[in-house]
Amino acid sequence: MSDKQRLEHDIKTLIIEALGLEDIGADDIPSDQILFGEGLGLDSVDALELGLAIQKKYGIKIDADAKDTRNHFTNVASLAAFVTARQAA
Amino acid sequence: MINFNIAQWRAWAPGLESADDWHAWCQAPVLLPESEAAPDVSFLPAIQRRRLSRLARMAFSVGWPLAEGLQDLPLVFISRHGETPRTLDILSDLAHEQPLSPTQFSLSVHNAVIGLWSILRNETSEMTALAAAGDGLEHGLLEAAALLQEGAPAVLLVITEEQPPAAYTSWIHDVPFPYALGLLLTPGDEWQLELTTGTVQATQTQWPHALNLLRALLTDQGACQHAWKNRVWNWQRKP
Repeated sequence: MSDKQRLEHDIKTLIIEALGLEDIGADDIPSDQILFGEGLGLDSVDALELGLAIQKKYGIKIDADAKDTRNHFTNVASLAAFVTARQAA
Repeated sequence: MINFNIAQWRAWAPGLESADDWHAWCQAPVLLPESEAAPDVSFLPAIQRRRLSRLARMAFSVGWPLAEGLQDLPLVFISRHGETPRTLDILSDLAHEQPLSPTQFSLSVHNAVIGLWSILRNETSEMTALAAAGDGLEHGLLEAAALLQEGAPAVLLVITEEQPPAAYTSWIHDVPFPYALGLLLTPGDEWQLELTTGTVQATQTQWPHALNLLRALLTDQGACQHAWKNRVWNWQRKP
């Protein structure tokens, strides 16, 4: 498993745990599946909760008002890329 | 004095789910062992039920079957202590200077359960969330009777209490175990509730008013008296 795959798997697990998605496993969330609205069907409270969980776990700061934040939260792959970029910065 | 009918009831506590369970408990009430058990609310889609606390699950499990097939059903939701586990989680995070969970925060308010009820049932009738000291059941019944008087064909009353976390046990003495009772109330005169005031020290009831009322409902007792401060409530079934 590459670093990227490992990080994406960790983020899927984080999503399941932080948002209480009791009936699914990490493998049920494709990395390119839309997370909010359609796809996985998460809502705005989930967005806040997930943002908090990511900040806690990876020690990064997320600006809720920044224009590109919405894009980072599109799917697991974009979130993983965002975390990698922030941690490298 | 107010009059009403109790058309149907549902109750839940750990290990007490069916009507038979409750009939047996009402004949010989006992303290229930501590339990993490929560009622089955699989009638709700997983994505919607995942955030429901046990308190919310208890409320939904007793209320949902009573609301079956009824539209425009006003709801009176009563809980004296509310979401104590969420409150403690939030206060603990604050004490440790941790950011608050948006989910916990949004669901910690007293009217969160009726908000979820409204969303999940697409119900826009009048709904009230009450916390009224030790006689919340009776205050809730008053509210329900007022709605019946206004012309509602039926009113759903749900009263529930969660087992408080250990940190609160010195202050909360009236929740022997988690429970919920749902009553579908309709106009009528099968039951009457009368308030008297005075310094009369009524017999201390061992069980929460809601469960004591259920005992009057399910046994041939037919009446019960609940006192709180200087208020004495007399419940009476028409003989």
